[in-house]
Amino acid sequence: MDAREFDVIIIGGGITGAGTQRDCAMRGLRTLLIERSDIATGATGRNHGMLHSGARYAVSDPESAAECIRENRILRQIAAHCIEETDGLFVTLPEDDPHYQATFVDACRRAGIRAEVIDPAQARRLEPSVNPALTGAVRVPDGAVDPFRLCAANMLDAKIRGGQVRLHVDVTGFIREGDALVGVHTRNRLTGEKVDYFAPVIVNAAGIWGHGIAALAGVDIKMYPAKGALLIFAHRVNQMVINRCRMPSNADILAPGDTVCIVGTTSTRIPYKNLFNVAVTPEEVDLLITEGAKLAPSLASTRILRAFAGVRPLVSADDDPTGRSISRGIVCLDHEERDGLKGFITITGGKLMTYRLMAERATDLVCRKLGVDKPCTTATTPLPGSEERSYEAVAQRIWEAPSTAQKAAASRLGTDAARLRDDRAGTALVCECEEVSVSEIDNAIERLDVSTLTDLRRRTRVGMGTCQGGFCACRAAGMLARAHGDTDKARKDLRNFMTERWKGNFPIGWGDTLREAEYTQWVYKHVLGL
Amino acid sequence: MRFDTVIIGGGLAGLTAGISLQEAGRSTAIVSTGQNALHFFSGSFESLEEAPERIVGLFARAGIPLHYSPGVRLMPLGTFRPAALSLDDVSLLDQPKFARKVLIVNFQDYQDFFSSFLADGLRHQGIACRIVTPGHLADPSMRVRAGELRSVQIARTMDKFWEKAVQEIRILLKDEDAVILPQVFGLEDPTIPGRIRAGIPARVIFVGTLPPSVPGTRTQRLLKRRYEALGGTYLAGDKVLQARVEGGRVRNVTTRNLGGHILEADHFILATGGYFSKGLKSNPFRVYEPVFGLDVRQEADRSKWYDADFQAEQPYMAFGVETDAALHPLRDGQPLGNLYAVGSVLGATRPELGSGAGLALRSALAAVDQILSPLDL
Repeated sequence: MDAREFDVIIIGGGITGAGTQRDCAMRGLRTLLIERSDIATGATGRNHGMLHSGARYAVSDPESAAECIRENRILRQIAAHCIEETDGLFVTLPEDDPHYQATFVDACRRAGIRAEVIDPAQARRLEPSVNPALTGAVRVPDGAVDPFRLCAANMLDAKIRGGQVRLHVDVTGFIREGDALVGVHTRNRLTGEKVDYFAPVIVNAAGIWGHGIAALAGVDIKMYPAKGALLIFAHRVNQMVINRCRMPSNADILAPGDTVCIVGTTSTRIPYKNLFNVAVTPEEVDLLITEGAKLAPSLASTRILRAFAGVRPLVSADDDPTGRSISRGIVCLDHEERDGLKGFITITGGKLMTYRLMAERATDLVCRKLGVDKPCTTATTPLPGSEERSYEAVAQRIWEAPSTAQKAAASRLGTDAARLRDDRAGTALVCECEEVSVSEIDNAIERLDVSTLTDLRRRTRVGMGTCQGGFCACRAAGMLARAHGDTDKARKDLRNFMTERWKGNFPIGWGDTLREAEYTQWVYKHVLGL
Repeated sequence: MRFDTVIIGGGLAGLTAGISLQEAGRSTAIVSTGQNALHFFSGSFESLEEAPERIVGLFARAGIPLHYSPGVRLMPLGTFRPAALSLDDVSLLDQPKFARKVLIVNFQDYQDFFSSFLADGLRHQGIACRIVTPGHLADPSMRVRAGELRSVQIARTMDKFWEKAVQEIRILLKDEDAVILPQVFGLEDPTIPGRIRAGIPARVIFVGTLPPSVPGTRTQRLLKRRYEALGGTYLAGDKVLQARVEGGRVRNVTTRNLGGHILEADHFILATGGYFSKGLKSNPFRVYEPVFGLDVRQEADRSKWYDADFQAEQPYMAFGVETDAALHPLRDGQPLGNLYAVGSVLGATRPELGSGAGLALRSALAAVDQILSPLDL
């Protein structure tokens, strides 16, 4: 077989593309995934990292809510090492409509979401950080999910099953035969290498960039790029997810994740040309702090680590140029049926929470086109690393007396942590903030398609802690330089990485963040000589 | 307690001022929180282009040899920067192509010294490089200790075993005419770098590591020791909580550790540093000076504090306390007549005073001169 021929090509390395590749690979298809940047660089990695129960959508979008709770239960089983079971609260504050709670609880129950009304005093005992002025609370099965880990685990599983992944590769055009797409022209963004790949079915899973991919194929999809800004706080003030019990609005979710917590979001339509450079404005920062502090008052005095924004791939219904009838549901387009273009599918809309279901729908359609008759098994097959539920048990089985760094590694890699070396050199820490060891970096470079420091960060959490790369970025750059044998590239990469970190720091640059920034900028310039 | 001068801040600027005043027979106290920029000192005094005998002498009496020779120095990531006045263990080079072939020696598993970046930078200059990381360079106890190998940890071991390291480097050396070593020698004893140079039959260049800086930590210790030997009162780990200002002059300050005792003086020097040392603090609305509430030169609009380019000159770094020409800081537009602001609390750079360590030394000495001048009341 020619190494450039596949059964299906998937465009997009976010969670939808990764999930689709895994599903296709599990049904025996030869798969290729192409991503223009790195895994999880779009909306996948730019959200609350929240395992929604669906409660947020129960009143406004009952169908999405029901999908959410079903997928919530499935992910707890198949992606245990990416998930923390925290539960969530929907709190009513004095300024909120007191009658909304009853509507909300009723809608949750209809969608199949456990929603338990508890009294405010009990809510404060369960979650001491919550605004003590709350007048009502409902407990729901929300949780936390690490989207980078989830995305990497899906892709890793596809690779274990023979799938191929090309990162930092642009699709520059499609190859047509009559009224069918049969392949793609590509160009590697790092090396400039141009390669053509062929497959009878091509899946567009490029999120908000799917608009551009479809345009390359001569197909029009109306999308509605909606920017959402978020803030990451340097400490985890809350154990449970805290939501406002009202119609979804700005900055009404505070989600915990690992050692931090995230408040968001806003929602603003942006033009397509701004997709590659989404900046957070001072007004958005101020709004997020003010509204966030209503959920948990201590946020007002907690150090902010970063500001960031993502773009939701919302889709307008066909023939609605105004973009008013926006759906947050799953959109799976068969372009043969819709536009008379064979061999092309777009899977978009949806949410991080429903990626698996999106992948299932897209893969069902792929299989139908290829005449393959195999059922979907992704709902019952654990992802690599998720075979055990408790990371502490995993760490214990691997190391007997695991260090905190080894426990951290087990929490990130699950059972895959058994691959890490535990000699002196391997256990040395590269990143003290997040306790990432030399061998964990080696493992990522070896198995998880790492080209740049930013790629490495998404897979290991290097540079995500309070120092924001001040110390660990140089160390990790040294390791990448050795692994790839290209120091010049590593030095440029280090510069890009620090610029990318700074981009998320300066919108919230005051207090300890500014203090850390002064230190880092002085050291890189005057001490290290970058 | 009463002194001639009370200095707030125990970093390079505060210690330089304290030593100079003690040498002139004045009684002083330094209040130091313990965090200062000497812990990430590069070893070179930026923006001191002239050969300042006064500074060289002051440091020599503290047991810190300085040398002056305008040229370039090799930076940890393999680049070159101009440098003139430096600590003895910084090698000042005539030109970037300073050797034909170099041997780069690192400690095994030490990640804070960037041999491959150095080698790459040198190859661009046409210098051939060989990197070695001998497993048995140091004390065996260092080898078995798991986890983190950092500069000060290695330096402590090397204070005992540096002679053994020299022997091993002599064996490793082939036809190279220069040897590059990480700056992890002489944490206590400033003569060790010189003795290592004498012991190796090739030019020895010490290159910086990730902080903490071993030469910077040593400089801090020796300056503090010199200051105390001169009779200065160094209040370590203490912090000024409150200052009393009357009639445009500072009367006294209260610290955390001295309980009810106040520190009174004729003169006060504010040497509290920049953001890192907490001499300048900030909130979403402004940058402020926390001890006296002095006027701070700044942009009112927060979006103008930053340049989106990480490597560009950052506007916030130039913010600092406003002073008159005599370094008396302003409060509500009026100078405080017996207070002097020195070092990074003035901002990272000031015309006439330079930046970084150069700014610290120049401004500290300027304040000292005024305090010692009979015209200063």
